[in-house]
Amino acid sequence: MIDTDIHERVMYEELLPYLEQPWRRYIEDCHWIQEKHMPYTQPAVAGVDRADAKVPDGRPAGTDLAFMQEQLLDQNGHEKGILTGALDPSPSSMHGWYEMATALATAYNDWQIDKWLDHDDRLYGSIHIAAQDPQGAVKEIERLGSHPKMVQVLLPIDDILWGDAYYHPIFEAAEKHDLAIGMHHNEPPLYYGKWPKYFIEWHTLIPLSHMNVITNMIFNGVFEKFPKLKLIMIEGGFTYVPFLMKKMDQQYKDLRHEVPWVKRMPSDIIREHMCFTTQPLEEMKKKELMQIIDQIGSDEVISFSTDYPHWDYDSPAEALPPNLDDDLKKKLFSENARNFYPKFRK
Amino acid sequence: MEQTVCHKEDLQPGEMMESTLGKHSIVVCRASDGHYYAFLNRCIHQGAPLSKGKLCGAPAPTEHVGEYAFEKDGDILRCPWHSREFDIKNEGRMLVNEKFKIKNFNVTVENDEVIVYNG
Ligand code: FES
Repeated sequence: MIDTDIHERVMYEELLPYLEQPWRRYIEDCHWIQEKHMPYTQPAVAGVDRADAKVPDGRPAGTDLAFMQEQLLDQNGHEKGILTGALDPSPSSMHGWYEMATALATAYNDWQIDKWLDHDDRLYGSIHIAAQDPQGAVKEIERLGSHPKMVQVLLPIDDILWGDAYYHPIFEAAEKHDLAIGMHHNEPPLYYGKWPKYFIEWHTLIPLSHMNVITNMIFNGVFEKFPKLKLIMIEGGFTYVPFLMKKMDQQYKDLRHEVPWVKRMPSDIIREHMCFTTQPLEEMKKKELMQIIDQIGSDEVISFSTDYPHWDYDSPAEALPPNLDDDLKKKLFSENARNFYPKFRK
Repeated sequence: MEQTVCHKEDLQPGEMMESTLGKHSIVVCRASDGHYYAFLNRCIHQGAPLSKGKLCGAPAPTEHVGEYAFEKDGDILRCPWHSREFDIKNEGRMLVNEKFKIKNFNVTVENDEVIVYNG
């Protein structure tokens, strides 16, 4: 199987050897840490991690390759796994000081290759960038774009409208290097730009933030301008997709004249350019899953993900409804991801 | 089938341990009142090993928004993955819906040894 969402985690001190000065000293001497936004105390046993994913020597979940191999890759028979980072640091989400964000992205990428991608044939990576500075971001994509194990550029779903032309150089560079764009929410505020009172409200509505980005990118013409660009929406699930397709198509029929650069039905753009990772799966019957697939109009845009080692991990053996047809299982567990990622297709 | 799983003093109230019963992995829990309970070590949601979770308490259902009444400390088995709560003193029933439960086994203490029975 191909697991489209695995979170490796860096400890800040591990980044130091990969950081140039003056950036290194801000961590070393000044103990800089990324500003965190989430106001909640997470209610699960071990915060946002699976309680059994803590490394046996006490280090946090996701920090050790050998333990990840044992607990995830070997146990589930992974063919491939795509690393999506811990989103801390998340250079594109940093406020201000873009130069430091750019340096952190570069250090993170080098660390990822050095400590993970070089040591397990099954693992593939994401290029982290500081998108606030699109030119610097493009440089980083150019630097690593041809790395055979880098399959996507990772962008956070935050309060950033990625469809804006300001960010298009990033998409251009990704397309040029056969990299998909991976989008994963990074603590986006959801309620009219604010945080809701309870974690359960926020966690319920994560797909809303994914819908924001998809709508914004489609109507800002990203996929018309970059006809080979692929976008994978990570950790928002897929059950919202039928609604969004129908709503966008209806709106497009009425309001196409506002966005005449969009030349296809939004639902066609979604089917042609996008992929959705499964986790966190709602419990559903086979019949319900088949209805959703039927409404999406394709069984080729959904791809299984575990989200290891986070608390809302989905088990490959248990999360989907039982008794799915073999053909569909093959698509969900590997073929769809293989056909989606330009580098896997080649 | 029966199996001696530990000495009485190996577990303090509020503690749990993993053990086996025949071919089953089980979790043996000692509740806050000192009694012992045993369950299949497999969450009914997605199969997580419950012994890696936590024996803790849980807020009781309350009548008013903002009102918390933490109770049953040491009697609630919380899954290590998605945090679902099972009441060890109520046959392992899920707090949110008592229709669902983890499989429980009978336990006795004889000569200071904790013994778990299947069937
Ligand atoms: S596996 Fe136990 S709550 Fe999901």
